[in-house]
Amino acid sequence: MTAENSSTAATVHASAHKLFSIWRTWAIATNTFRDLVRQKVFYFMLVFALILIGTSLAMASLSFQGQLQTVMDVCLGAMSVFTMLLAVLSTAMLLPKDMEDRTLYTILAKPVARFEYLTGKLVGVTMILLVATLLMTAAFCVVLHYWQGREIENLQLTETAERAAAAIAKLKVGTFTSTLFGGIGIIFLRAIVCATLTLMLSCFATSWLFTVIVALMMILAGHLVPIARSVWQGPVGGAMDVPFHLAILVRLITVFVPDMQLFNVVDDIAVGASVSADVFLRVAGLGAGYVAIYLLVGYLFFAWREL
Amino acid sequence: MRTSPGSVEMKGRVSGILVLLAWGIVKFPVEARLERRMQDTRLGGYKPTASLRQQAGQAGFIAALGGLRAAVADMLWIRANIAWQDVQYGRMKLLFDTCTTMQPRRVSFWDISAWHMAWNGAAHVENTEKDPVARNAKMREFFKLGEDFLLRGIENNPDSWELYDRLGLLYRDKFKDVEKASAAYEEASQRPGHLDYTRRFAAYYLAEVPGREREAYARLMALFHESEHEWLLTLFRQIQKLEASLAIPDGQRIYHDILKLAATPGKEESAYTALTDLIKTGAREPSVLEATRALEQKMDIPAERRIKLPPHDQRPPE
Amino acid sequence: MGTPAIFIENLTKEFTSPSVFARDKITAVDKLTLSVEAGHVYGLLGPNGSGKSTTMKIVLGLVTPTSGRTCIFGRDSRDVESREAVGFLPENPYFYKFLTGSETLDFYGRLCGLGGKMLRDRSRELLALVGLEAAADRRVGGYSKGMLQRIGLAQALVQEPRLLVLDEPTAGVDPAGSHEIRNLILRLKQRGITVMLCSHLLSQVQEICDRIGIMNHGVLIREGALEDLISIENQTELTIENASAALLADLRARAEDAGARVLGAHKPQQNLERYFLEVTGERK
Repeated sequence: MTAENSSTAATVHASAHKLFSIWRTWAIATNTFRDLVRQKVFYFMLVFALILIGTSLAMASLSFQGQLQTVMDVCLGAMSVFTMLLAVLSTAMLLPKDMEDRTLYTILAKPVARFEYLTGKLVGVTMILLVATLLMTAAFCVVLHYWQGREIENLQLTETAERAAAAIAKLKVGTFTSTLFGGIGIIFLRAIVCATLTLMLSCFATSWLFTVIVALMMILAGHLVPIARSVWQGPVGGAMDVPFHLAILVRLITVFVPDMQLFNVVDDIAVGASVSADVFLRVAGLGAGYVAIYLLVGYLFFAWREL
Repeated sequence: MRTSPGSVEMKGRVSGILVLLAWGIVKFPVEARLERRMQDTRLGGYKPTASLRQQAGQAGFIAALGGLRAAVADMLWIRANIAWQDVQYGRMKLLFDTCTTMQPRRVSFWDISAWHMAWNGAAHVENTEKDPVARNAKMREFFKLGEDFLLRGIENNPDSWELYDRLGLLYRDKFKDVEKASAAYEEASQRPGHLDYTRRFAAYYLAEVPGREREAYARLMALFHESEHEWLLTLFRQIQKLEASLAIPDGQRIYHDILKLAATPGKEESAYTALTDLIKTGAREPSVLEATRALEQKMDIPAERRIKLPPHDQRPPE
Repeated sequence: MGTPAIFIENLTKEFTSPSVFARDKITAVDKLTLSVEAGHVYGLLGPNGSGKSTTMKIVLGLVTPTSGRTCIFGRDSRDVESREAVGFLPENPYFYKFLTGSETLDFYGRLCGLGGKMLRDRSRELLALVGLEAAADRRVGGYSKGMLQRIGLAQALVQEPRLLVLDEPTAGVDPAGSHEIRNLILRLKQRGITVMLCSHLLSQVQEICDRIGIMNHGVLIREGALEDLISIENQTELTIENASAALLADLRARAEDAGARVLGAHKPQQNLERYFLEVTGERK
């Protein structure tokens, strides 16, 4: 070791330690991203693309009208499910693997706060979800463009000139809309919420299988939250006599589980419904709130955890 | 300071659960308000209206599907079409109900469901039911099923001109209720993206409602004055028919407006087209026939393309 | 005497048995107090399960103590800031298998706030130091046990820490590599870096440590300067070259006359390690 290089220590130690360093977090994030990429997670995407093309071809051939709509529904549905699954499965393994391999010790033995570690892991998963969503969106656009052409040909053959012209104009304007891509953005946001939820669970769970099962159950239960809320609030115009144990379950679901239905706007966007900017913003705000809270709770679970 | 084993870790877990609880309390009204806002803008599945509440038993199933709701609706739709090929109208009705509940914003589901019920279903009954009384009753039932789909579809998609258009067709062809047909077409014509014929149809069928002929006549004349795009044979025929039945004074009849147009430089072609349409739809006024011939000469229309004018005392059959 | 590098005061760590039915407490460390002065090499010894690793983890802030406190250069171990000055090599280290040797150092360097050219130079230097230059671009997943130890040592040194904590640094390393690590520790000591190490290779501990602490069942049973601890007070060794048999007999007689007891006379031996290195020609 040379004398000049010994100044490295002085330089490093002289600068004040930051409570939260973006660069440390980014180092963990990029490492997580590379880890997930090398786990062949993108083969998952290839499977998606094949299912996408195959299913859309099969269903469209069975459906004698509205093939384009069928393709859109199947693709967006697949994208929803795949991103949620990818989020849960990618995230569930992160902490247990680091603990089992003891790489966690070497990381936390450096001046890395546990909060930075968790945030870095989450940012890494977010990056993989972003790349996955972009790839799936690209594949989706290619398939949709093809079916749009087929639908236009179909309309020209089956409808009167006036109706065909009107329908084709509507089709061209109404297929690749900003609302559609906004809906895909909401799919991506929901995946991040699922990833953060999974990360929070893995901060106290002892096995990754437990984390995956509980996360998937919570996500499933999340789709029942509107029903639970309506039972709690009582249906329109009346009170409901609910057994006590069910009432407790309903309240627990409503309080502790995220309302996943609020992120399901893409089902309506697919049939051409317009979504106002304020709804988009409110859904985005709610999603951001979930991410922040789950990350905080995950930190509280992890901060004093015996390693 | 001494802490009991695991108590620090437990402290973290308890804090975390408390934060989740606090968040749950905060998010409850936020989510409820957002749900209401989405329902108001008809997003997020279905509105808890009386007609859809009957299917509340499916609500859990729908909710659990999450992001696959639309794709599953498509698969059930395919099954409904298979049921149609198997002539199972009862099963079709159930599947159509499920599909429209799952995807209430998909106009084509409501439209095609109504079509299958009111047209195909009724036709099936007409072809298979021997007893005339039973046949009429069953056909009427199918008409009502079709109407029900359209009305529920309109409830969920109030801006859909297509559903009002189909409703108008249903009232006209199946219920033979021209007043309702006219009202439906009128509604269609006020929705975004409607086709022009909806306005004409609203007026045409209004003309057949006893006591509203004058109103229909006013509408048709307004369409005539609005744009040459509306100058279709049916329009002229209807207007002339109404002029006759309402005994509109001669000086106020449509052909005078067209004669004025014929005298306007640069409008000869439009005027000639309108005059020939008037003649094809029954006009026999001498001034109309003379003006037509004059224009043909002025415009140098070859003899073989000139309209064959009927004799003055002959009218073409109605 | 300045601020000690490590200061442990009345440290106790109890674990609750994981069994639901028998909630026994296991005392891994029991009222441990010790201090490691800056610039020293300290050996923490003990049989398996004596609490050495637990103590190290508490010092590094990885585990929360039940009671007591630990400080690194005067800073509480639980402060993340205290780890700016610490490098840690765990027992049987594992790193991200998909990273190469140089990427591993790059990753840990970035965690310590290093970056750019400074980090690249440092990585190159450390890889040369631990003899892994040739394997720098090979994935860590393909490293042998000894190579893992060496890359582990390199990552512990990446930010030039003032304190190095090594848990079994030569475990699984061949004698040549073990010797190099030993020499490295001595060089670090000369530069004023404090080293705390756990090792079962007592001969090595004897060669490099200034002070040792011996733990058993969570309790520090012996602690002090190595020389003082292992010297047999009432015995003296003389090593004489070219002594004749008569001289030896004379010395024996004089000792017995003085009331002392000659316990034995034998030829001194070099140690096996030195001998091994000599014959294999790898001694540097």
